Amino acid sequence: MTLFHFFNCAILTFGPHAVYYSATPLSEYDTLGTSVKAAVVYLATALVKLVCLATFLQVSETEVFDPYQEALKAMIGFIDVAGLYFALAQLTHRNISQNHKFQAVGLGWAFADSVLHRLAPLWVGARGLEFTWDYVLQGLEANANLVFTISLAALGSLMWLRKNKPKTLIPIIYTCAVIIATMPSITSYQKRVMGWHFPKIVGFELVTSLVMAFCSCQLFILCQRPSL
Amino acid sequence: MADDKKSKHSKHRSLVFESIYPVVALMLILVACVELCDAATVVDVYRLIQYDISGVPFGSRFSSLNHHAASLSFQRGADLSRSVLILPLRELDIGFVQDYISQKQSLGGLLILLPQTFRPGNVGSVISETEGFRKLLAQLEKLLVHGNIPFPVYFAFENEETDAMLADVKKNDALGQQATATTGGYKLVISVSEPRKIASPTITNIQGWLPGSRADGDSNQLPTIAVVASYDTFGAAPALSVGSDSNGSGVVALLEVARLFSILYSNPKTRGRYNLLFALTSGGPYNYEGTQKWLKSLDQRMRESIDYAICLNSVGSWDNELLVHVSKPPDNAYIKQIFEGFSNVAEDLGFQVALKHKKINISNSRVAWEHEQFSRLRVTAATLSELSTPPELLENAGSLSDTRQLVNENAIIKGVKLVAESLARHIYGHQGKDIKIFADNSSLAVNPFYVRSWLDLLSQTPRVAPFLSKNEPLIMALKKELEDYTAEVSVQHESLDSSFTFYDSTKASLNIYQVASVTFDLLLLLVLGSYLIVLFSFLVITTRGLDDLISLFRRPPSRKVKMA
Repeated sequence: MTLFHFFNCAILTFGPHAVYYSATPLSEYDTLGTSVKAAVVYLATALVKLVCLATFLQVSETEVFDPYQEALKAMIGFIDVAGLYFALAQLTHRNISQNHKFQAVGLGWAFADSVLHRLAPLWVGARGLEFTWDYVLQGLEANANLVFTISLAALGSLMWLRKNKPKTLIPIIYTCAVIIATMPSITSYQKRVMGWHFPKIVGFELVTSLVMAFCSCQLFILCQRPSL
Repeated sequence: MADDKKSKHSKHRSLVFESIYPVVALMLILVACVELCDAATVVDVYRLIQYDISGVPFGSRFSSLNHHAASLSFQRGADLSRSVLILPLRELDIGFVQDYISQKQSLGGLLILLPQTFRPGNVGSVISETEGFRKLLAQLEKLLVHGNIPFPVYFAFENEETDAMLADVKKNDALGQQATATTGGYKLVISVSEPRKIASPTITNIQGWLPGSRADGDSNQLPTIAVVASYDTFGAAPALSVGSDSNGSGVVALLEVARLFSILYSNPKTRGRYNLLFALTSGGPYNYEGTQKWLKSLDQRMRESIDYAICLNSVGSWDNELLVHVSKPPDNAYIKQIFEGFSNVAEDLGFQVALKHKKINISNSRVAWEHEQFSRLRVTAATLSELSTPPELLENAGSLSDTRQLVNENAIIKGVKLVAESLARHIYGHQGKDIKIFADNSSLAVNPFYVRSWLDLLSQTPRVAPFLSKNEPLIMALKKELEDYTAEVSVQHESLDSSFTFYDSTKASLNIYQVASVTFDLLLLLVLGSYLIVLFSFLVITTRGLDDLISLFRRPPSRKVKMA
């Protein structure tokens, strides 16, 4: 198992990011700087979130779904959104079209997320003799996360960077954004209250990510028409 | 100006690089050190004993294990030299094991799963249920202890995890899919260092001396009566040899007799005209070497003053008859006296004693009973035991099946009453009279709770002599107990005879890993590779168009045209 398995899981977890960068026009326009900046912003956001969680949250021993704790966690999750806003709107990027800006930011954000959350467990766990499906599932989750982040970045760029949007679409945009932003709460609810196991949760995440990607893609296209 | 800036810039850069090196080095070290053991299951296992007698090797010669698991349902003719065979005791076929050992077939290792009832400290089941297992276990032990086994042999107790693993392994084996590197399965790993010889193992004898009362003006040495029991054990798995019956029962009986007589002797009015010598000897399984060394170390006058000695060996699981083994001929006056004393008391207590005579063969170095060591030095002695035949070398000395459930406290209590009463009648001159000195419900009654608590303690303490250090807690406890009951206690440390050599590493942890095969990894790699390729093509098509994808693979023909 050991290193071969580790290698497999690593390419499952981090491969798609590299493939996305090289396959889309991002590589042609050399948007690596934007992705790196987004990654740094993610790091700062993660630190702020950790501090808030440590200060305000109580650690419960049992896996009980406490609505107040979960609401608190969701609110802290919105710091993520604030970080993304900062990365999209406030940072100065080189002249890149909006189309590519949100992709680059989303990619950098998702890559940093994968590295921070999944690299250490992978290195420590997948190299042992014991075989479990956990790391493969974790890789699939990383893929779903990539799609989610890019969708969120797309919706974010629609919300904050595009000034003229059709009035009817605005609530839909906001709803989709809220759904994506609260995905962590939804999965923890499933794990604790509905008792779903990891494979089921990952499957749900993959399906939802594809649906969300499709929705945000459509919204993006619809919003582009008036500006033409 | 530009040059200055450039050099500054390069200096700055080199400084930055230099400061990164130690960080990188630290990261590399950290990364390399993280090698956690992440087995799903860890089980305590106990190794088969490894020893030499005069250089001839016995027992299992290896200790570390790193092979795949196999069960008895393997296909005939399969090669097991890189597998560990898991044998539950319930399904053991002695003939099979015998074949394997005698034909010297190579095996990666043997793991024997014992039912939980044999775990020391487990007082659950009834003896009758485990009768068959005990017999099987005794046969297996004999085979393993007297054979020279070139692979590691371990004992473990069944639990849920091992049961689940064994069921899985059996299922795979039945399908013909034996576990190897390419087909997955379970891997058993025990990582311990090679076993080393135990340098100069010590045997420790503990003696307690209870002096009798001298009449005024009596300058003669008082006669002495000795009560002796050996406390150490020997079995197939040294970490599990608790020897409840052989000879935990003897030790408990000796301690109780010492306690009763200490009460009698504490009052000068009831102190007898005999000295009492209590000895807990070690080295029992090895021809009672400890007893021999202890006797030789005694002062000559003291040894000559010993009237007779009673040795206690396995008095814990008898019903109606206890045997008195002697080496002097039965028509010897002293032997007659001792035996009559015993049989009178036994009659009063409601059971029988029988006399068994076995001549000592001086040319044979085998010492089957403890009293033979006394007889070789011209001291009258007898062994009180439930065993009818003399035990063979390294047999009946605390095997795996000798656990707490085998011992009946009442048998020990009856034995204590027998010894105490007959000694007391001899000491106080009441032979033949119908007197009960240690009657029940009196202040001198045998205390069943005392017997039970010491028996429970001994049944959870493995006592193989070479693995006991000089200041082992058990030895200290026995010494302290004798100090409470006798006037003088001395501890004698001797080294075990050089013809026996023992090796360490008796206990280990078994890690059970569930491993996937190499083919699975390759398959996964294939799937992932194709997934990434598909993803790449999809993204190129959707963002740049199909033409771009095709152009990636076709070399631009324009160059060739230009060259021409």
